[in-house]
Amino acid sequence: MAQATKGKLNFRCPSCFMRDIDIDMFFDEEKKEYYCLRCSFSGKEEDVLRLNDMARFRYRAMTKRVVDFGADNEPVRFEEHIGGEQ
Amino acid sequence: MENKFIVNIIHRPELSPEYAERALGKKDGVRDESLDIFRFQQDCAHKYGLKTTIQITYASLFSDVIIELAKEDHEKYGDEIGLSLLGLPCPEFREKYHTEDFCIWMFDEKRKEEIVDDVFGKFYERFGFYPESTSSYFLDAYTINYIKKNYPSVKCAVATCWEEGPKAYHTCNNSWYTFMDGGPWNPWIPSKVNSHCPAADAADDSGIVAIPHLSRDLMACFDGNGSNFGTHPQNVLRGMIYYGDSGEWEYPYLYNLIDQYRHLAKYNDGYSYNMMFVGPGWLNRRGRWEAPYELLAKSYDDGMKYYGKLKKEGKLSDMTMSEFADYYRESHKDYKRGECALWKDILYGSNKEYFWYADPAMRTCFDFNQGGALIDLRPYVARIPQKTGIGTENVYDASYPYLIQINYRAGYFTHYAGAGTVRSCKISCRGESADLCLCRTMAVYEKIDGGVRLTADPVTVTLGGLDIVIQSVYTIVEGEGDIITERRILNDIGDEKVTFYEYFTGAFGTTEYQADMTGVTLGVDDEDMKFAYLGRKIVKNDAKRAYVTIPDVLTEVEMGGDCDEAVAEEGIAFSPVYHIGVRKTISKGEVKTWLKLRKAN
Repeated sequence: MAQATKGKLNFRCPSCFMRDIDIDMFFDEEKKEYYCLRCSFSGKEEDVLRLNDMARFRYRAMTKRVVDFGADNEPVRFEEHIGGEQ
Repeated sequence: MENKFIVNIIHRPELSPEYAERALGKKDGVRDESLDIFRFQQDCAHKYGLKTTIQITYASLFSDVIIELAKEDHEKYGDEIGLSLLGLPCPEFREKYHTEDFCIWMFDEKRKEEIVDDVFGKFYERFGFYPESTSSYFLDAYTINYIKKNYPSVKCAVATCWEEGPKAYHTCNNSWYTFMDGGPWNPWIPSKVNSHCPAADAADDSGIVAIPHLSRDLMACFDGNGSNFGTHPQNVLRGMIYYGDSGEWEYPYLYNLIDQYRHLAKYNDGYSYNMMFVGPGWLNRRGRWEAPYELLAKSYDDGMKYYGKLKKEGKLSDMTMSEFADYYRESHKDYKRGECALWKDILYGSNKEYFWYADPAMRTCFDFNQGGALIDLRPYVARIPQKTGIGTENVYDASYPYLIQINYRAGYFTHYAGAGTVRSCKISCRGESADLCLCRTMAVYEKIDGGVRLTADPVTVTLGGLDIVIQSVYTIVEGEGDIITERRILNDIGDEKVTFYEYFTGAFGTTEYQADMTGVTLGVDDEDMKFAYLGRKIVKNDAKRAYVTIPDVLTEVEMGGDCDEAVAEEGIAFSPVYHIGVRKTISKGEVKTWLKLRKAN
């Protein structure tokens, strides 16, 4: 079996990303999967993309646009971001 | 006063971008690609009517194409031509210096001088003048002083990456040695002694205006990776803070972040600032961080487009670095003036609120999600003369030491034993007690004569069935290292006795691990003890002050004020911290205490 390669993009390990570690995975051509050198994660490209999406759970305001920062002691006011606008 | 939001847009042509060369292992065509990226970045800015500062790298000084391009853009768009100390790696540099090192602050003093003279000399040969601006991820005081002495035209420098330290190291699988925590998040005039510290007066003024590398999220970066949350579109992609919507990629967080920086004008006499400085490696054609090139390029274009939109609306002034230095000097005549940022969460969707503050005596952060507890404290008053680089005690660690850092050294929450670093208050009544760290609130900022004041919204503490409504007011005396705390009982509790225990649990260091503490001295009034990990305590009634002296960081911390009893307590080996506090019992009215930072000789 030939050595692993980086793959077409630097896909990071989604499991390590969840613990704030950016570590590029390597691609096993034989098994057609990415795997992490640090933890025991391995998965197909679609698994990586799905799990990356899951990692976004913490960004509750990711799809929102600030309308007003409000008074100092008030929460920020958001609205849903409209695609294509700034 | 009319608000002024200033942006510095900086581009550096590298020709040997470290990422393209090393991570991808494909050297063919790297120089052409890097040149294309530089052209793309310049075109993006100009397309939206923005001027840039071109930071010429060592490798670029050997390229006629880059030199001509920079001159053309200077003529046509008013772009400034500066000189970067980033991007040193290239065949010419390696051949001359026989090293793979590339961070200017990590070389020994002689080599720093040689490199500075080399790059400034080559720059003069190519352009016929010396630059007015320079840059690095970090610039230590030694290098700044050397540059200013020998190349006095330099008046502005990119001099730190805010809160890039152990967090960046961990995120990069413990391989990225940029330890430079503890500096200001917004421009400052660096001290001649330690570049993290804002200059205290004209004698301490290094002669340049320092700007941070990127404008970073003051909440997300305190906890998470600095390179995920800044005014750097590809950082936002790296943090995965984007999503697909009808076939397009969206990242409103980038615009929210820029807008929150604009909002900081409210706390800084109408002035606010932003900088964007994206190295070419982030825009390489092979894509990066799961993102294809098309998304990398689109996000950069969108970043420029948003700045351009703000400019068109009259809400933004684009300046070159030297123009900004002139503006900053003119508008910041008072060295003691504190930089302020009441910062709200714009990413996690919480109501969390921090107040960041920096002046020549300290940098600190109040967390109003923890009642206004101090969660970070750096004693600038000590002017710790840290040298960095080979041949010093800090070969790579350029961070300014903390006394409190709740993420590295725990805050209120610990695992069943020991104590974390934090400055807060315990309230006791009817045999029960509660810490204000558990009272979530928000605060109102006020500029007052000689300082700033934060008034927290009242919180209710319930002890033994009794509701006690408490308001906290924090006053920072500008440039003095003093914080005054007032706790007011707002409701009628009759003859009930409420005890306020104001405390400061501290440590010292730049990382998550504690150095030996046996140099520390603790005391109350005239009684003191040397730290010996024995958990001993000094308690005195009606004392004037409790204090701790930490020679390793040349700092003394004192507490006093309304006080029935003062306490100094050493830690143990399992919990290497020191602790001072003052206790006062009242039934109504308020308790007023102070905390002072002093330089320890």
